[in-house]
Amino acid sequence: MSLIVAEGLAKSYGRVVAVDSLNLKLDEGSVTGLIGPNGAGKTTTIKMILGLLKPDRGVVKVFGQNPWDNTAIRSMIGVVYEKAFFPSHQKTLDYLQRVCRIFGVPESRAMEVLELVNLQEASDRDIRALSAGMLQKFAIAHALIHKPKLIVADEMTANLDPQARSELLDLVLQLHRDEKVTFLLSSHILPELSRVCDSVAIINRGKVWAFGKLSELYEKYAVGIIRVSTDSSYALEAEIRKLKYVKGLESDIRGISVRVADGKEDKLYEDVPKLAKKIKAKILGIETGSASMQELYRLAISTKERK
Amino acid sequence: MGKGKPFLEVLSSAIHEDYRFPFLEVFAFLYALGTFVFASFGVTITAQGATNEAIAYDVVSSTLSIPLFIFIILVFKNIAHGLGSDLEKGIIQTYFSYPLRRRGILTAKLLSALGVALLLFLGIQISALYILAPDIILPQLGTVLLTYAASLSYPLLIAGIMLLLTLKLRRGGISLVVGLVLYFAMSMVSGIATIFAIYTENPVSLQIISAISPSLVLQQYYGGMLGDFWAPAFSEVLLYTGVSYVIVAFIFFLGYIYFSRRLNL
Repeated sequence: MSLIVAEGLAKSYGRVVAVDSLNLKLDEGSVTGLIGPNGAGKTTTIKMILGLLKPDRGVVKVFGQNPWDNTAIRSMIGVVYEKAFFPSHQKTLDYLQRVCRIFGVPESRAMEVLELVNLQEASDRDIRALSAGMLQKFAIAHALIHKPKLIVADEMTANLDPQARSELLDLVLQLHRDEKVTFLLSSHILPELSRVCDSVAIINRGKVWAFGKLSELYEKYAVGIIRVSTDSSYALEAEIRKLKYVKGLESDIRGISVRVADGKEDKLYEDVPKLAKKIKAKILGIETGSASMQELYRLAISTKERK
Repeated sequence: MGKGKPFLEVLSSAIHEDYRFPFLEVFAFLYALGTFVFASFGVTITAQGATNEAIAYDVVSSTLSIPLFIFIILVFKNIAHGLGSDLEKGIIQTYFSYPLRRRGILTAKLLSALGVALLLFLGIQISALYILAPDIILPQLGTVLLTYAASLSYPLLIAGIMLLLTLKLRRGGISLVVGLVLYFAMSMVSGIATIFAIYTENPVSLQIISAISPSLVLQQYYGGMLGDFWAPAFSEVLLYTGVSYVIVAFIFFLGYIYFSRRLNL
């Protein structure tokens, strides 16, 4: 069963097109990552899914219903925003107890969720006195109050330190495993998504450029990856990019990851040294390997751009 | 999962934020101070008034001025700072994750911003008047209520305009400035309209203003300070007051429509 279905979603802010003909389907029981650069349209997409923004075109259904001003589906969704804001002059436990009453769950649940995010010691603190990381944990506790079937989180780890991030991702895995909670997580921190997600939607320029199970995407975009280590990455990248059989590539200071058409790996092994010689770059190594999530993301983007 | 009371909880949360210490205490003190001081003053001034209705009107209007200004400041603060910052910071976004319709959230915010302020204002005012001048107030309750209704209509209209601006701009600073400008502009516009009316002996300008600020027609009805060229009947007073509230209701209705159907966060 699909919990979220978006078809042909479009949203513009004046002349700026934030989301353009976006399609997305989120299956029950999945942990789906929404990845993309800043301004790719992730937050706008999430806001349309949550009924905070009306799409200019297209349809979005959450639990089979239009999310705009829909109270029925709010009882089934937990939301974590990148920047969490709550009435700041109330105590954390008091406010969560209020939220318990709003959702009609026992007030004891408030302490349970505070303990779940390791924030029980801050139960008598004013919300405004929480640090950014604590506030984010509080937002997660807030989202868990009513035991939602679906949690939508927009950059939920953005304000957390590495340890808190790790704990939070453990919590995501635990909730997914024990409570069968479905997650839609947007993030630009790719390694952490690869830890928890089983599906990924790569968003760029308001469109979903690649979507599917992680294993399928690796097969599609990251098989036939050849890593070239060189002392002159960017210059060599420009030369490699000219090769017609190169389907995608990305580079950093240490080297270049190249994806080639099927059966062209050997050809690349032959061509790279020639190109390096031409621009007087030094080849430190060439090897075939698997891609990281970051490479997968960049390769998917560059493959699309080359089409 | 049992059924909660999201509306009451959001209302209580909004009241908690709008009237947190020391706002409620300070404003209640100022209301009481303004009311009692000016009520005593008003009673002595109007002791020689002609009719009981006119005396009641004079007493109420003389006690109104300072507390009404305090009421306006409180309401403006609640709309501009309370609702405006809730929109700006994202607290409304948090409320939108609760099982409560958008119109319910706006009603809760407005009940906190306007309703509680109004209760505080009228509660202290009417109690004070009852304590200080029961023989005037009790027999003329209709006049007392009409005077309040006529005096509150324009501030409520400004509050409605501020609401629209705050929703559109999603911040309160500009709407607060606009609200204060509109409030003070009315005194100036009324003054100019009065001079114009006296000069031309034509009450049209005053009648137009009365449609949004009916305290003017009420003042003319009881005071008749502008001479014979405009002597409104009581039915006219009711008509202008009614029209002004229709305009206020329309502005708030627009606010509800925008908040429920158009507000993108």
